[in-house]
Amino acid sequence: MSGRKDFLSQIAPENYVAGLGRGATGFTTRSDLGPAREGPSEDQIKEALAKRAAQLGAAPPTAYGATEKKEEDDDDDRFQDPENETGLFANGQFDRDDDEADRIYQDIDERMEKRRKSRREAREAQERADYEANNPKIQQQFADLKRSLASVSEEDWANLPEAGDLTRKNKRTKTEARNRFYAVPDSVIAGARDSTQMDTSVVDDGSTNGAGGDAMDGTMTNFADIGAARDKVLQVRLDQAAQSGGADSTSGIATNIDPKGYLTSLSKSELKAGEVEVGDINRVRALLESVIKTNSRHAPGYLALSRLEELAGKIVAARNVIAKGCEICGSQSEDIWLEAIRLSSGGDNHNGKVIAANALKAQPQSTRLWIQAMELENTIPGKKRVMRKAADFLSKSVVIWKEMIKLEDSEQDAKLLLAKATEEIPLSVELWLAYARLVAQTETPENAQKVLNKARLANPSSHLVWIAASRLAEETGKGNPEQIIRRAIQSLARENAMLKREEWVQEAEKCETEGAIKTAACLIRETLGYGLDDDDDDRKNIWMEDAQGSISRGRYETARAIYAYALRVYFTSRKLWRAAVDLEKAHGTPEALFQLMEKSVEAVPNDEGLWMMYAREKWRTNELDEARKILGRAFNQNPESESIYLSAFQLEADNHQISAARELLRTARQEASTDRVWYKSVAFERQQGDNEAALDLCQQALNTFPSCWKLHALKGQIYTSKGQIPQAREAYNVGTRACPAAVPLFILLSRLEEASGVVVKARSVLERGLMSSPKSAELRLEAIRVERRAGNIPQAKVLMAKALQALPSSGLLWSESIWHLEPRTQRKPRSLEAIKKCDNDPTLFVTVARVFWNERKLDKAANWFEKAIVLDADLGDTWAWYVKFLMQHGTEEKRREVVEKCVANEPRHGEVWQRVRKEPANKALGTEEVLKRVVRLLDEEEKGRGG
Amino acid sequence: MGSVVLPHLVTGWHVDQAILSEEERLVVIRFGRDWDADCMRQDEVLYRIADRVKNFAVLYVCDLDQVPDFKQMYELYDPVTLMFFFRNKHMMCDFGTGNNNKLNWVLEDKQELIDIIETIYRGAKKGRGLVVSPKDYSTRYRY
Repeated sequence: MSGRKDFLSQIAPENYVAGLGRGATGFTTRSDLGPAREGPSEDQIKEALAKRAAQLGAAPPTAYGATEKKEEDDDDDRFQDPENETGLFANGQFDRDDDEADRIYQDIDERMEKRRKSRREAREAQERADYEANNPKIQQQFADLKRSLASVSEEDWANLPEAGDLTRKNKRTKTEARNRFYAVPDSVIAGARDSTQMDTSVVDDGSTNGAGGDAMDGTMTNFADIGAARDKVLQVRLDQAAQSGGADSTSGIATNIDPKGYLTSLSKSELKAGEVEVGDINRVRALLESVIKTNSRHAPGYLALSRLEELAGKIVAARNVIAKGCEICGSQSEDIWLEAIRLSSGGDNHNGKVIAANALKAQPQSTRLWIQAMELENTIPGKKRVMRKAADFLSKSVVIWKEMIKLEDSEQDAKLLLAKATEEIPLSVELWLAYARLVAQTETPENAQKVLNKARLANPSSHLVWIAASRLAEETGKGNPEQIIRRAIQSLARENAMLKREEWVQEAEKCETEGAIKTAACLIRETLGYGLDDDDDDRKNIWMEDAQGSISRGRYETARAIYAYALRVYFTSRKLWRAAVDLEKAHGTPEALFQLMEKSVEAVPNDEGLWMMYAREKWRTNELDEARKILGRAFNQNPESESIYLSAFQLEADNHQISAARELLRTARQEASTDRVWYKSVAFERQQGDNEAALDLCQQALNTFPSCWKLHALKGQIYTSKGQIPQAREAYNVGTRACPAAVPLFILLSRLEEASGVVVKARSVLERGLMSSPKSAELRLEAIRVERRAGNIPQAKVLMAKALQALPSSGLLWSESIWHLEPRTQRKPRSLEAIKKCDNDPTLFVTVARVFWNERKLDKAANWFEKAIVLDADLGDTWAWYVKFLMQHGTEEKRREVVEKCVANEPRHGEVWQRVRKEPANKALGTEEVLKRVVRLLDEEEKGRGG
Repeated sequence: MGSVVLPHLVTGWHVDQAILSEEERLVVIRFGRDWDADCMRQDEVLYRIADRVKNFAVLYVCDLDQVPDFKQMYELYDPVTLMFFFRNKHMMCDFGTGNNNKLNWVLEDKQELIDIIETIYRGAKKGRGLVVSPKDYSTRYRY
């Protein structure tokens, strides 16, 4: 052994519980020999402690714990007092010290108990005796009587009378038990009701007469009868359906339902009193009756029940119900009186008047009832009388006064009434304004002014009075609206009653609609800056928004005033000037427009756009010289601006002043030598048919601007039109090398090659183009089309697949794929796929519309066309397709409307559109003509493809 | 003879201390009565091997009359019972007898006993709670 452990020679602590120190647990074997699962439990521990103590011959370890506990074992632990828990420390180690302490405390307690025992017991006995003397028991009270019972003899006992029901208590309880009431269930009520009612859902037409005998006794079931009844019901249903289906649908087939008319016919059929299910009404009536019964002072219950009766066609019952309701809860609800009056109406209003009188007796303060009573009167004097009475009760009601005034025909009386009314209710601005208006109409404006002054004194915080004063001044021309508004703003600000800026704008718009333009302008001028910081940069935007809002609501004067104010603050803002000019252009007179434009170019002389707009407006009104002068001034202000040069040139060219135009271009080329100027020059010469000069200019231009692809393209086109194919090819080739990113050049070149029959070359050109700009949908499309035109459909499909992989969101490619490379049945699924891939592409939308068109789904097609136009109104092809569609399926007006819209939008793009537009022969055509031509071209293309 | 030499555990506290105090070795306790003939035979064997297993096991004897505390908990109703503890964990061994908790017959083959103790020790070191005895005793001793 490797040394003895220390603990072997130590003494075990007292009261140690074996296994406790190491938390030992037992185990269960298959041959379960006893309760060994747990380690030492609480009880075990305590028991062990007690046992050990007993073995050692000592007293039980605690004065309170284990031993006491055993006696009251039946007391559950659950019922322990949590404040004073016994055995709280029973789990702890309990050693000799604890035991000794317990014993000492026990001794002390016992001693204290003994000390004054006799005296205390005596006192307690005394207290108990006192208590009993004060609160004697019944037994003790009758003690003396009880004692005398001993003298009662046997006979006396036998002669004792029986106890009678002297207080009648038993009888009372019995009758009460008999008189108990129970609520009758609804089923009983419904059953009782149905027992006396006729069921009219199936009309007996006598077909069962023969079978009546055996049906009577009820022992036999007549299947023939049941079948007949079922047929009958079905027939009734069918008739009803045919009726409600409407007279126009003569076919009478159940599936033929007009979706719009269906719902209205449903609601109508429900309201027809005769057709409402009788059972429904009965059910609801039972419900409502129980509502009234349970809560008899609930006015809406009576209302609902009377309405129901009315719906069921029982007007008398309805009147009875409502009369009862009026009686019971007439003092709380106006509605019930109104309903009663409504129900009583018919023929003369006598009953209604009686009811109204009762109603007003019950509720003299109800404005609505007075008005109703007034309406019941047939004659004007009668009505007046009622209203006068009402005014006695409700002298502060604006409604009553207004009705009263409405009844007066003589202006004099009305005026008097208004004067009285304003005296009674000085806070009603409405009445004051009406008064002032009447005075202004009948008397002098000065008097109206006086009225308004009084109104202002009564309502210093009302802006309406001020506005009315200003409008009065404007209408009569006496007084200055501007001044009035200024004073109004000052006083309102003083009263803290200033409106918000937006509300002022609204007021101004209201004034404008009512014709007070000056007042509106003044209002805007005085209040627009209110509530905004002077150095706030947002002000400009806020004002722009205000003006836009006013324009969209059609209040152009207000918008004009807003712009005027804004322009006074931001004198040099181009944006504001342009917005103001746009407003004038759209909704103003030419004079005002020119005035404004003049001011704008003075304010912002460097803005070419404004100058050009000004010139164009002049030109449009056929003041050519003016336009020229304006452009001259523009030149002075902006000497090197290419756009002004070009617009001047455009002006001359459009007016067929060829030489002047040419002259202008020449100066432009010298003064502002940009590629655009050169390009325009070349295009101009080409349009004039002077190919040689154009070529010459082109050459010069290319020397200075070799990387302008438009010049290269023009050169090639000039050569092509001259028939010099090799030169054209050369020009394009040079161009593609100079600007490899120019997609149109490649396309032009490939078309040239294709036209001369060399498809191979065209293909290679396009491939070269794709190398430099692989993301160009146009190039890929052209490549696909080359294949398609060469009749090589499989190759085209392969190319399309590649292209769609590279550019999955190109509407152009999808359109081509759907329209030319897919079988007809596949078009719709493919379009769906395409729309999922690129959801906002006008070209694709047009294609989808055409797919629908082909399937004769015209509504959908039109819808998609509209969508495409909304998406991009600049795309001419969309317009052309839509017009073509409308020519086949649309009305004349619709077509005209679309063409007009197209002209207004001036589309400039689109594949076919551009081709037509750029043709030198078409240079003089208007938008509408171009549109027609494009439509014709589309027609031809389609026919060619179809053939 | 062996009963005299092997250290006795005279109270429950000593038993607990014996089990708790050993950190690295297996604690083997023989519960029984020193005067019992089976016990004497078993103690003889234990005494013989005590020195040979001292590196991985420590052996104690405990008189059930003197220390009755564990009788119920460990179901000590046999004349002789060997129990194994390692780091205050009771080690079980599948002897094939159906009772894996203890060795409750007299095993007089010294080498077999050493093998069992060693197997339990190795298993205990690996953190097992139950090891399989190197030899199956199911056929030899009846229950």
